[in-house]
Amino acid sequence: MEHAGAGPAWALALEHSALGETLRQALWLYPAANVLHVLAVVAMVGSIFAFDLRIMGVARSLPVAALARLLLPIAAGGFAVAAVTGFLLFTADATAVWNNPVFVYKLGLIGLGLVNIVVFHVIPWRGVETWNAEVPSPAPAMAGAFVSAGVWAGTATLGRLIAYF
Amino acid sequence: MILTDKRTTLAAAAALGVLAATPAALAHHGWGSYDSTALTTLDGTVQSVSFGNPHTSIQLEAQGKTWFIVLAPPSRMTTRGLPDGTLRQGQTVSLDGYVHKNEPAELRAERIRVDGKSVELR
Repeated sequence: MEHAGAGPAWALALEHSALGETLRQALWLYPAANVLHVLAVVAMVGSIFAFDLRIMGVARSLPVAALARLLLPIAAGGFAVAAVTGFLLFTADATAVWNNPVFVYKLGLIGLGLVNIVVFHVIPWRGVETWNAEVPSPAPAMAGAFVSAGVWAGTATLGRLIAYF
Repeated sequence: MILTDKRTTLAAAAALGVLAATPAALAHHGWGSYDSTALTTLDGTVQSVSFGNPHTSIQLEAQGKTWFIVLAPPSRMTTRGLPDGTLRQGQTVSLDGYVHKNEPAELRAERIRVDGKSVELR
C-alpha cells in the first residue's frame, strides 16, 4: 500500500492538497469516512440485490415498478455517499491507491455497472408495464439483473481487497 | 432487444475478465503479504516519522539499512499512548514485527518499545 512517490501528477497534487493533509492528520476523519463508506455500500448493494432478485423472478407478485420506487432511491443515495466518502479515502493516499491494480479494476467495474444501469433504463424499463407483476421478466431485463448483481458484488469485493494487494 | 443482449453479454464478459485477471495482479504492498511465521526484532534510530492515515509509518536505520516500518493508524497510536509528536527523528526504538515477503526492508510492527515503554500495535 505504501511507498508513495511515483505516480501521476494529479494523484500527487490530490494527496498533497489541504484536504489530503487533513484526512491523514485528523485522528477520526479518515475512520469516519471509512465507516460511512461501508454503510453506504451496504445500503446500495443490498437494495440493488433485492431489485435484481425480483427481476430474476423472486417474489413475482410484487410489482417491479413499485419496488423500484422504494429501492432505487436507496441505491442512488448509497452510491452518492459511497462516491463522496470513497473520494475522501482515496485522497488521503492517492498515489499508492492509484498504483494498486485492484483499485483500477474496481473503478472499471463501477463504470460497467453505471453503463448497465443506463442500458437497463433505456431498453427493458420502457416496457415495464408489460412485465410489472406475475409474469417472467423479458430477457434483456434478466440479463441486466445478472450483470448488475455480478458487477456490484465484484465492486464491493475488489474494494475490500484493496488493502490486501 | 438483440443489441441489448449483445451489449449486456459483452459487459458481463468484460466483468468476468476483470475478475479473472485480479489474482494475476501482483501484490504491490499489501496487508496480507508479511511473513508472520518469523517475528523479527529491530533496534535502530528513527530517520523520519509519517504520523497519518491510513497508518503511521517510520523510516528506521537498523542492521545497516533503512527500513520502512508500518505502525498503526493515528487513532490507535494515540489511544495506546503514542500521540503525534512522541515518535521523533533521532530517537532510539526497538520493535518486533513481520518482514514483508517481497520487500526485504519493509516490516509491519506488532509492538514498539520507546522511552522505556512497550506499546502493542495490533
